Amino acid sequence: MTRRLQFLLAVTVAVAVLTGCTDAGLPEPVTEQGEQTRDLWRVFVVIAACIGALVYGLIVYVIVRYRRRQGTPDRPPDQRQVIVSLEALYTAIPLAIVGLLLGLSVRTERDVTDLVEDPDLTVHIVGFQWQWQFTYVDEDITVTGTPGETPELVLPIDSTVRFDLESADVVHSFWVPKFLTKMDLIPGVENSIDVRVTEAGTWPGVCSEFCGLEHWRMTFTVRALPAEEFSAWVDEQVDR
Amino acid sequence: MTVIDTRPPVATPPPHAAPATGVLAFLTTTDHKRIGLAYLVTAIAFFLVGGAMAGMMRAQLAAPELDLVGEDTYNQLFTMHGTVMLLLFISPFAIGLANYIVPLQIGARDMAFPRLNALGYWLTLFAGIVMLGGFLTADGAAKFGWYAYANLTDDVRSPGIGGDLWIVGIALLGLSGVMTAVNIVATVSRLRAPGMTFFRMPIFTWNWFVTSLLILMTFPVLTAAGVMLFSDRHLDSHIFDPVGGGYPLLWQHLFWWFGHPEVYILVLPFVGVFTEIFAVVSRRPVFGYKGLVFATIAIGFLSVGVWAHHMFTTGNVLLPFFSGMTMLIAVPTGVKFFNWIGTMWSGHLEFRLPLVWGIGFLLTFLLGGLTGPILAAAPLDFHVSDSYFVVAHFHYVLLGGSMFGVFAAAYYWFPKFTGRMLDERLGWAHFLMTFVGVHLTFGVQHVLGLRGMPRRVVSYLESDGFGALNLVSTIGAFLLAASVVPFLWNMWRSLRRGARAGDNPWDGQTLEWWTSSPPAPENFTAPLPPIRSERPVWDHNHPDARAPGHA
Repeated sequence: MTRRLQFLLAVTVAVAVLTGCTDAGLPEPVTEQGEQTRDLWRVFVVIAACIGALVYGLIVYVIVRYRRRQGTPDRPPDQRQVIVSLEALYTAIPLAIVGLLLGLSVRTERDVTDLVEDPDLTVHIVGFQWQWQFTYVDEDITVTGTPGETPELVLPIDSTVRFDLESADVVHSFWVPKFLTKMDLIPGVENSIDVRVTEAGTWPGVCSEFCGLEHWRMTFTVRALPAEEFSAWVDEQVDR
Repeated sequence: MTVIDTRPPVATPPPHAAPATGVLAFLTTTDHKRIGLAYLVTAIAFFLVGGAMAGMMRAQLAAPELDLVGEDTYNQLFTMHGTVMLLLFISPFAIGLANYIVPLQIGARDMAFPRLNALGYWLTLFAGIVMLGGFLTADGAAKFGWYAYANLTDDVRSPGIGGDLWIVGIALLGLSGVMTAVNIVATVSRLRAPGMTFFRMPIFTWNWFVTSLLILMTFPVLTAAGVMLFSDRHLDSHIFDPVGGGYPLLWQHLFWWFGHPEVYILVLPFVGVFTEIFAVVSRRPVFGYKGLVFATIAIGFLSVGVWAHHMFTTGNVLLPFFSGMTMLIAVPTGVKFFNWIGTMWSGHLEFRLPLVWGIGFLLTFLLGGLTGPILAAAPLDFHVSDSYFVVAHFHYVLLGGSMFGVFAAAYYWFPKFTGRMLDERLGWAHFLMTFVGVHLTFGVQHVLGLRGMPRRVVSYLESDGFGALNLVSTIGAFLLAASVVPFLWNMWRSLRRGARAGDNPWDGQTLEWWTSSPPAPENFTAPLPPIRSERPVWDHNHPDARAPGHA
């Protein structure tokens, strides 16, 4: 194997290892939109890690290499102050990196904020001090949280679900960490997001915009079910 | 040859006034150095207050479902912690440095408007007392967060005088900041010594000039927003109230119009401090001086076009524009990092305390910078916004950038202020405790935020699994709290028993090192050296080692 190949291999392995441990606490996403966000996250973290390694390396090198020690002459060091080409280089390269990151970011943003024409299910979500109300518009089901009992947001998997977000009083924010997204509920403003959940499970959700005294108690649970179980749940609720 | 005695006249005390002494001298002074010191001491006092609040919050969060302070008190604590640290600690400290150092660096006798300067200080002090006075009222201090989102702040949802006192304080601080900024712009524009062209000004002075322009663009909006909020609460004006036809998002736009440039207002002066320090301890000129100045100006320009990146999750801002503008700030910031490295490259780095803090700054601030583009990317921000990831990010920026800058400036200029050196061993203890404390406290908060811990929660559930990392964070915070002991003890002791500093202990380059330590009331008793570059004192002391390209 040539040296160049070895080098390429080493870089590939390093990047792979780096990518493997870049999630650094980022939850494994459970929606299609979340997967796209996670992919973008990995790109950002790898690039940030490479830039960080370069700059940290330079800082440490300079500090160690140019520290004053015994034998450092008393006369001042080289006083050169301007290298225009170098400065142009370290302006242009970051500019290019920023262009790349922005492009990737805008592409992912278009995908994750995209609203489909005709969602499979629409849930109207109202935030109020300090709980949530979930209304399944077509099914005519309403689930309301109380201070003692947090509500459950039951969703079908592999369906596109529209959340219409609205506030009854102050600004709240709807965050399910496993969805890797959140959106504010603002009085007088209509906001919507679409998610498509890919696996069954139960995950916590919170209000992430400070909304007064009991903000921290404004939690809920998401329970994602396969389609038939979800239909059964709907029937059960309607019968009630 | 430089002609010293044709400098424009500045205000001098009327000749008939007998010079006051002791406390009275400080209460009535219009001397920029005394006002500067008053700002610095006041800022450190508020730092201790804000730190005590942080300590209480970290104690409350040490384990799941604790009930040490209660919801209501906790909400007051984080509101006032943010307000105090940003507006009553970092800002006044930076303003104190500007007061003391900028006139010296440009060879002026005082600020352009000494009385306005004194008024600015007293307004800051009273604003702080008014805001903190909320804790003495029946309903407690303001409790709607330091960015006070409408319409949580209206008179129904946040009744009580604490909120009003907060608004009054904000309005006064806005006014005081404008006074300082006007003064600095006038001083820098009009009172530079002969030979001190704009492109021979030290970087600290340059950065304060740009900072002042930012203050002039943003602080009036803050004061105006405060007045609007006050009128909503008491005159039923419904500006932000959706029920009366108002628009709560308007507050967010107005507040962040101030609030984001504010971050640069808090950081740029200290970035200037570090630039000076890196050059002096390396015995080199600032590498790429002009590029650095243009980078600062670029940051200033960009910073007024990024406010809505705080509002990505509102669903009502143009995401690509604000993402792009925000990411662009990484470019001039990166230029600064490379210029600092270039300044130290091939230098003779002396490992004294100012450099030690400088290295701490580079290592910490860089991490805060690297998480910046993540927050600037709208889809990633959707996940981390309003989580502990954001808390970690801005504490890395503000502690790594501004607080380390406060301490670097303290160790660097204390000899000039007092004529005494600070103790090296106590200084090292202070640094190590602070550095470890910052990374312990805030490093783990990145992970907490990613995992789903929202900010501004008084507690969390056992089942959330946030306990272990929060405990680490609390231990770090207590270490940080303890780090002020060697710092304050060092100040106290060195004031009396520190080694004599002499006029120029660091082989400094700029004009503040030309005069005595502490400087005489009129600043310069000897004629200034010729000003042929941005480091006249160095050129005078090392005639054989001027930078190539300077006469």
